[in-house]
Amino acid sequence: MKLRKLLCTSAIAGIVATGALAESHGWSLKDAAAPYAGTTVDVVFLLRPGYEAIEAMLPAFEEETGIKVNVIKHPYENALGEQVRDFVAGGDLDIALIDLVWIGNFAENEWIVPVDQIKADYPEIIDPDLDMDDFFPLVLNAFGGWNDTIYGLPFDNYSGLMFYNRCMLEEAGFDGPPETWEELKDTYGPALTKDGKYAFALQSKRNETQSADSFARVLWPFGGSFLNDEFRSNLNSEESQAGLKFRQDLMQYMPDGIVAYDHAETVNGFAQGDVAMITEWSAFYSTVVSPDTSAVADCVEIAPEPKGPAGRKPALGGFSLAVAEQADDDEKAAAWLFIQWATSKANAGEYLERGGVPARQSAYADESLAETYKFVPALVESWQDGVPEFRPRFAEWPEITEIVQEWGTKMMLGEVSTEEGAQEIGTRMEEVLEAAGYYDGEKPLAQ
Amino acid sequence: MTQPRSLLWQIVLLILVIALCVFPFYWMVTTSLKTQVVALEAPPVWIFEPTLDNYREALFEDGVLRTLINSLVIAVSTTLLALVLGVPAAFALARFEFRGKKDLWFWFITNRMVSPIVLALPFFLIARNLGLLDKHITLVLIYLTFNLPIVIWIVTDQFRGIPYDLDEAARLEGASQWTIMRKICLPLAMPGIAVSAIFSFIFSWNELLFGLILTRSEAKTAPAMAVSFMEGYNLPYGKIMATSTLIVIPVLIFALIASKQLVRGLTMGAVK
Amino acid sequence: MQNKVSRGTLLGFLGPAVLGLALVGIAPLLYALWTSLHFFNLTKLKKIEFIGLENYWTVLTDGVFWQAMGRTFFLLGTALPLQIALGLGIALLLHQPGLTLLKTLARLSLVLPMATTYAVVGLLGQVMFNQKFGVMNQLLGGADINWIGDPQNAFAMIIFWDVWQWTPFVALVLLAGLTMVPGEVEEAARLETKSWWVILRHVQLPFLLPGLTAVLILRTADTLKLFDMVFTLTRGGPGAATEFISLMIQRVGFRAFDQGLASAQAVILLIITIILARIYIRVFYKEV
Repeated sequence: MKLRKLLCTSAIAGIVATGALAESHGWSLKDAAAPYAGTTVDVVFLLRPGYEAIEAMLPAFEEETGIKVNVIKHPYENALGEQVRDFVAGGDLDIALIDLVWIGNFAENEWIVPVDQIKADYPEIIDPDLDMDDFFPLVLNAFGGWNDTIYGLPFDNYSGLMFYNRCMLEEAGFDGPPETWEELKDTYGPALTKDGKYAFALQSKRNETQSADSFARVLWPFGGSFLNDEFRSNLNSEESQAGLKFRQDLMQYMPDGIVAYDHAETVNGFAQGDVAMITEWSAFYSTVVSPDTSAVADCVEIAPEPKGPAGRKPALGGFSLAVAEQADDDEKAAAWLFIQWATSKANAGEYLERGGVPARQSAYADESLAETYKFVPALVESWQDGVPEFRPRFAEWPEITEIVQEWGTKMMLGEVSTEEGAQEIGTRMEEVLEAAGYYDGEKPLAQ
Repeated sequence: MTQPRSLLWQIVLLILVIALCVFPFYWMVTTSLKTQVVALEAPPVWIFEPTLDNYREALFEDGVLRTLINSLVIAVSTTLLALVLGVPAAFALARFEFRGKKDLWFWFITNRMVSPIVLALPFFLIARNLGLLDKHITLVLIYLTFNLPIVIWIVTDQFRGIPYDLDEAARLEGASQWTIMRKICLPLAMPGIAVSAIFSFIFSWNELLFGLILTRSEAKTAPAMAVSFMEGYNLPYGKIMATSTLIVIPVLIFALIASKQLVRGLTMGAVK
Repeated sequence: MQNKVSRGTLLGFLGPAVLGLALVGIAPLLYALWTSLHFFNLTKLKKIEFIGLENYWTVLTDGVFWQAMGRTFFLLGTALPLQIALGLGIALLLHQPGLTLLKTLARLSLVLPMATTYAVVGLLGQVMFNQKFGVMNQLLGGADINWIGDPQNAFAMIIFWDVWQWTPFVALVLLAGLTMVPGEVEEAARLETKSWWVILRHVQLPFLLPGLTAVLILRTADTLKLFDMVFTLTRGGPGAATEFISLMIQRVGFRAFDQGLASAQAVILLIITIILARIYIRVFYKEV
C-alpha cells in the first residue's frame, strides 16, 4: 500500500513536471482538459501487464484532468467481438483498442478517427510534445496506420523474443541460444528433451495464438507467406510448406498437447523449468523474471528469435489506441487526451517501470536500460527490422484467422497433412478475398 | 431380508454416489481459498493455509458483486414476468376447450428445445437496432423463451389436478373465469407455481450465452463475468473458483429447497 | 367436461403469453430467416446484399458443419447410454428398503450437479482436469493424462462432465418411476423370482417408460443446445475435437462475424430440432 501511494505521488509529480515543462510552450494538460472535465470515456482493456501498468497510473490522469476513464476488462479472445458488437450497435466505447490485424477492419468501417482529423478539429488539445516521429516508425505504421493514414498511437507493444533458460542450456553443454531454427530443432531439441523436460514450446491453441504465434511464426523465416503478389494463397509454395513441415518435426521436442497451449501454459511451462526455450511476446518478461511467478527467474535470458533460411523474421504484434468515431465531441477530445497521455514521451519511463512496453524511441535511448530490462536490445533490434505484414493486415483478417486456426490445428494434430491443410486454408481464404472484391479489381491489392 | 454383505455393498455404493456428487464442489471451494501459487502446485495440495483474498478481490475489485446483483435483478424480474404471463395461459390450457390447443401446446414445448444460439444471433441484431444492448430488460425478455414454457408446463399440470367440480360450483353462482382462477384455483395451485418460479429463477441465473452476447458492462451477468477471467495470458484459478462458488451457492440452496419437485420440473411435469 | 368460453375470455387468458412468446420467440426467427438470405457480415455492414439460398448451399455442402452435427449426435450416443445405465443403477440402489438417512443424503446430493451453473461446470473441469496441477490425475494415482490437449481425451472429459451433471437427473426420474410400481405387485414378483433382471424387465420397466422417454427427449434437446460447459472448458478444442453444433454457430456468427451464414446454420438446426421434437412429442404427449 505504501509503495503504491509513493508511486502515485511520484506519478503526479511527473505529470506536474511535464506540465511545467510544457508551460513554456503555453500548453498544459490541465488547461487543455479543463473544458472536458467531468467527461467519462469508455475503453476496453486486456488483462495483461501493459494495461495494469497504465491503470496504476490512471488516478494521476483523472485527478489532473477531471476526465473519468471507465475501463472494461476483457480477455484477448473476447476483445475483438466485444468491440465489433459495440461499434455496430453505436454503443458506448469512446476509444478503440486495436490489435495490428484489426486496424484495416476498424478503419474501413470508419469506426476510428484519423489522428490528423483530431489535430484539425481540436488544435488546442494537441500536446506540443506529441512528437509522432519519436514512435518507432515500423510500430506506428503497423499498429496505428492503415493506407498511409495514422489512426492509433502504439500503446501495448510486443515483439517476439526468445526466452531461454541459461541454466538448462549450460547443463546440456550449450553456452548460448540457437542462432537458427534448424539448429534449435536438430541440436538443441534432442539434447534438451528428456526426463519430462522439453527443449521448446510453441503456443498453438486454436485461437489467435494458433495463427499469430504458431502458424505465422514458421511461415516467414522459411520464406513462406500467406499470399503471393496476385493475392492468391501462397501456402502450398515450397517455402511455406518447408516452414509448416518444420513445425510438425519440431513438435517431438515440445510437450504433449501443445495445441492446447495458450500463452499462459507456455509461459508457465517455462517459468516452472519444464521447458528450456520459448518464443514469446516481450510483454511476458515481467512474468518470467519475477520470483513470485517464476521458479527460474535467475536463469532467464533473452535473445532475438532464431533465424530461418529467409533470415530473422520475428513475430510482431501489439495494440494501438484510437479515438472512436461514435463518441460525441467532448468524449472524442477527452479520449484523445487520454491516449496522448498514455503513450506520451513523458510517461514512457514510468510505464516501462511498471511493466508496460512503450514504443517511444526516446524511452530506450539510455544504454543502461539493457541491464535492468534484458529484453530491450532484442526488442529494439526487431522493431528496426521486423515484418509488419507478419500476419496479413487487411480488413478480412477476422474471417481468415478463423480458417487458419481451424486447419492449422488440424495439421498439428495430424488430422490432415500440411499440403491438405494448406490447400483447405488456401481455398477458403480465397473465397473470403473473392467476396471482398480483391479479384475483380474492386479493391486494390494493398499490403 | 437383506443379507449383511449386500447391506455393506449398499452403504459403500451410496457413499460413493454422494462423494462423486459432492467432491467437485469441495474442490471448487478449497481452490477458491488458495493463493495462485498454491493453486498451481503440482501435484495439488489438500492441506494449506486458506485465504479469503480471492473473494475480496473478485467481489470488490473486479466488480463481481455488481454482476451478481445484475443476475439477481434479471432472474427475479423475468420470473415474475413469466408468472404474470404464464399462469393465466396455463389456466386456459387446463380448463378451456378451443381449437388449435394442440398446436399451441406443441409450440410452447418447442420453445424449450430451441438452441439459444438460434435466437441469440437475430436477437443481437434486433436489440442493436432498438438500442437495447446491455440493458437488463433485454435479458428479462429473452429469458421468457425458456421461462414461459416452464411456467406454463408446470402450472397447467397443477391446474389439471384441481377437481373440476370446485369451479363448476362457483360458476353456477355466477363467478367469472377470472374470479374462479384467482379465488379458487390459484391458492390450490400455489405449490406448482412456487416450483415453476424456482425453476425459472435457476435457469435464468445459470444462463450464459445470451448474457455473453447481449450485455457488455451495465447489465453483465455473473456467469459472463466468470468467463471473462479466462485470459490466455494468465488464469487466476483461485479467483475463478471464488466467483464460481458465489454463483453456484444461491442456485444450490434453491435446488435443495425444491429438491422434491426438481424431477417434475425438469421433465416439465412428464414425471410426477 | 371442459369449458367452451368466449373468444374475449380466451384472448384475455392466453393473449399476453402468446404475444410475449411470439415477440421474443418468433420475431427473431423471422429476422434470422431474412438474414440467412443475405450476405451479412458484422464487419461489413455496408455490403449487405441479397444472395438467395447461397448461405444454405454453403452450409449443406460444408463438411465442417456436418462434422459438428455428427460430433453432437456422437456425444449424445455415448453419454446418454452411460447416463441411463448409471442412473438406473443408482435408482435401483435408492429404491432398496432401509438405510433411510444415507439415502436421503444421497438424494439431496444428486440434486446438486444438475442445478449447477453449466458454465461453472466447465470452469471446474479446467481446474480439476489440468494435466499438471489437476486433482483428477492425482486421484488416478499420479497419472499423466493430457485431458485438455488431446482430442480423444478432451472428448472423454466432456462426456465425463455431461455424465456427472445429468446422471443424477436420470436417476431421480427413474426413481420416481420405480416408486410408482404398486408395492403388492412388486412383493408378489419377488416371491416368484430372485432375479432382479426379471423383475426390472417385466414388473418395473412399464413404469419406467414415460420417464425414459422424457429423458430421451430432453437430453437430445439439451445436447443440441450444449454450449456453456464446453465453451468454458475447451472452447471446442483441441482443433475441432469438441466443437459441437451450437459452439460452431457461435463461432461463425460472433467470431468470424458472418451473421448470414450463421443464421442459415441456425435455421437448419432449428428445422432439425422441430422435426425431432415433433416425432418425440407425438410419441410422448399423446394425452394432450
